Amino acid sequence: MTEPLLQVENLTMHYTTRAGELSAVDNVSFSLKKGEALGLVGESGCGKTSVALTVLKLLPENGYIKEGKIIVNGKDIVPYTEQEMRKVRWGEISMVFQAAMNALNPVYRVGDQIIEALEEHQPQMTNKEMKQKVTELFELVGLESALMDRFPHEFSGGMRQRAVIAMALSCGPDMIIADEPTTALDVIVQDSLLKEMREFQDQLGMAMIYISHDVGVIAEVSDRVGVMYAGRLAEMGTAEEIFHDPIHPYTMALMSSFPSTVGEKTDLVLLPGEPPDLLNPPTGCRFHPRCPYATDVCKEEQPEFKEHSPGHLAACWHPRGEQS
Amino acid sequence: MRGYLFKRLAQIVITFFLFLSAIFFLVDAQPGDYGNVFYSNPRLTPEQRQQLKANLGLDQPTWVRYTKWMSSFLQGDLGISFSNYPRPVIDVIAERAPRTIVLFMSATVVSFYFGFMAGKLLAWNRGGLVEYASTIGGVSLYTVFTPWFALIMIWVFAFRLGWFPIGKFIEPTAWIGAPTEVNDVFIRLIFTALIASVLLFTLLVSVGRLNTNQRRPATWIGMAVIAAGALIYWLNTGLGVYALDILWHLTLPIITLALISFAGSMLLTRNSMLETLREDYVLAARAKGISEKAIRDRHAARNAMLPVVTSFVFSLAFAIDGGVITETVFSWPGMGRTLLTAANAEDIPMVLGALVFTGTLALTAHLVADILYAYLDPRIRYA
Ligand SMILES: Nc1ncnc2c1ncn2[C@@H]1O[C@H](COP(=O)(O)OP(=O)(O)OP(=O)(O)O)[C@@H](O)[C@H]1O
Ligand SMILES: [Mg+2]
Repeated sequence: MTEPLLQVENLTMHYTTRAGELSAVDNVSFSLKKGEALGLVGESGCGKTSVALTVLKLLPENGYIKEGKIIVNGKDIVPYTEQEMRKVRWGEISMVFQAAMNALNPVYRVGDQIIEALEEHQPQMTNKEMKQKVTELFELVGLESALMDRFPHEFSGGMRQRAVIAMALSCGPDMIIADEPTTALDVIVQDSLLKEMREFQDQLGMAMIYISHDVGVIAEVSDRVGVMYAGRLAEMGTAEEIFHDPIHPYTMALMSSFPSTVGEKTDLVLLPGEPPDLLNPPTGCRFHPRCPYATDVCKEEQPEFKEHSPGHLAACWHPRGEQS
Repeated sequence: MRGYLFKRLAQIVITFFLFLSAIFFLVDAQPGDYGNVFYSNPRLTPEQRQQLKANLGLDQPTWVRYTKWMSSFLQGDLGISFSNYPRPVIDVIAERAPRTIVLFMSATVVSFYFGFMAGKLLAWNRGGLVEYASTIGGVSLYTVFTPWFALIMIWVFAFRLGWFPIGKFIEPTAWIGAPTEVNDVFIRLIFTALIASVLLFTLLVSVGRLNTNQRRPATWIGMAVIAAGALIYWLNTGLGVYALDILWHLTLPIITLALISFAGSMLLTRNSMLETLREDYVLAARAKGISEKAIRDRHAARNAMLPVVTSFVFSLAFAIDGGVITETVFSWPGMGRTLLTAANAEDIPMVLGALVFTGTLALTAHLVADILYAYLDPRIRYA
């Protein structure tokens, strides 16, 4: 087996807020192999964007990594300085932001914003080669190359999204993190864009992390899926396992709300209650207040994120709702 | 873009005529008129008085005088100044306006340049003593009583330390035997500065087309060439010493005015930049791995500049308002002092002329703001 491109180990990330420490990412571990597509799914506010930003160390001033390792191509980047991070960013890992609409600077031509990244990471290229490269990238993502001399406000939402994807591809990264890449788009555009993204991913042999709150989106593109709940990974497995044989009651609930994979085994249709307040997360298993199978142990002790079958991990005291 | 500018231009022309009418009627409504000087003589008979009035055109109803003034204005004639008799008002303006424009424009440019730089750095490195100190310092200067502060500056830097001259535009003794007039040198100075700025702007725009590693050397070489050109010109004409004399007299007023007003642009830039720093495109720029400096300047500060530019142009227009006081304190022979003397002397044509000048400047500033804004913000340019 080849060494993974990205290996996240016991990552814990907090935001310091006026109301106290907000535990946005708690003890999260996962890995990503070359060419693999990992989906991260979970409700709004469960920490998906925070995981992505932590991996690139792009946290806001009040966010800090408390613990853990982020191993990119064999090197732990947690101790890296800003200066050292600059090579990792875009060169090894690039990102498509959740608000891709606003990820383009309104005062510069779209093509120039891609060239800016090329200038940084491929300084040996001449201006002409860079233009050529942008032309190729635009063609790849299905934009007319003449559009590179236009400004972001002249693009439609879908076009901007494509431009942002072209930008993420520009420096030939090993992996791209796509944070809700299609949420702002209408369903039809969303669908075709996702298919295309999956195509260039395979074509270019890149690894991808797709982040979405939408199980349908994740189902469409992922090889493996991680389910997040309240800053923690609840379950991780192949798409097949997650959709057809979920272990964690939260995953079971999530899948039952997703029409095409309704599992008859679960009797949960809607999750009662609210996602927890991460400033004061519940003790033990963070899901216990909403879990129909919760017992005393769930309230007191945090379940280990452990392997139930090879490659299929979950953190639950009552896998598949069994009472032992 | 063209349509936008055309529309703005039309609006500005209309505003200008409204402004002209307003100042005419306002000045006309003031008690007393410029005939007073003549007919207050007690030995004049009522008939003679009437005759004088008729000669001056003051027996005409207001609207007749208004149309007369307007139509001469359109022919570029603002009448004769009494206090500078027999010089035409236009002539006086042509002589003094450049001095005022140069003084206030340089002060405003300096003030905004440093205000922008300081504000940018404050927003970038939040917190700490520096932020605290510069905000307190800037705001104190901003709210200080201008004439008092100007006098303190003159007292310290001109009187006690002797680094700068005590007011005035030139040192008359240094100009004895000068081959040309003061205004000639001054106009040449203005043109040098204008040409240099245009060349500099062209340079900065065109280096953008070069490859990254060639930009910096190209910029330096270009700037050196421009500076050398200016230097050669002034050495050749032999007027360099005189130009230096004017510049030396300009320095203290510029520093004073800039110190008083830079806090405004500093705080504005800081706030605007704190906002752009939260934008997603700044985060995206960081994600691209580009340098901190490029993120700060090219992304955050570039966008933070938009409101600052508007404020810059408006302060250009309104800087002249303070001209009356500042020019008096620094004995600067510009339009501000001219307006004051003319008002004291009831020199109505000159007062009107000075006000026309202020209005023209304000409206030009508006137009410049529109053009600059369109240049800086493609969303307007291509609307
Ligand atoms: N800068 C910040 N300071 C404090 N708290 C933050 C900050 N950014 C995010 N949070 C909090 O961290 C938690 C996780 O946020 P995050 O944006 O990672 O969630 P998400 O899963 O991406 O949600 P969404 O689907 O809405 O994008 C949320 O409770 C959020 O309120
Ligand atoms: Mg998010």
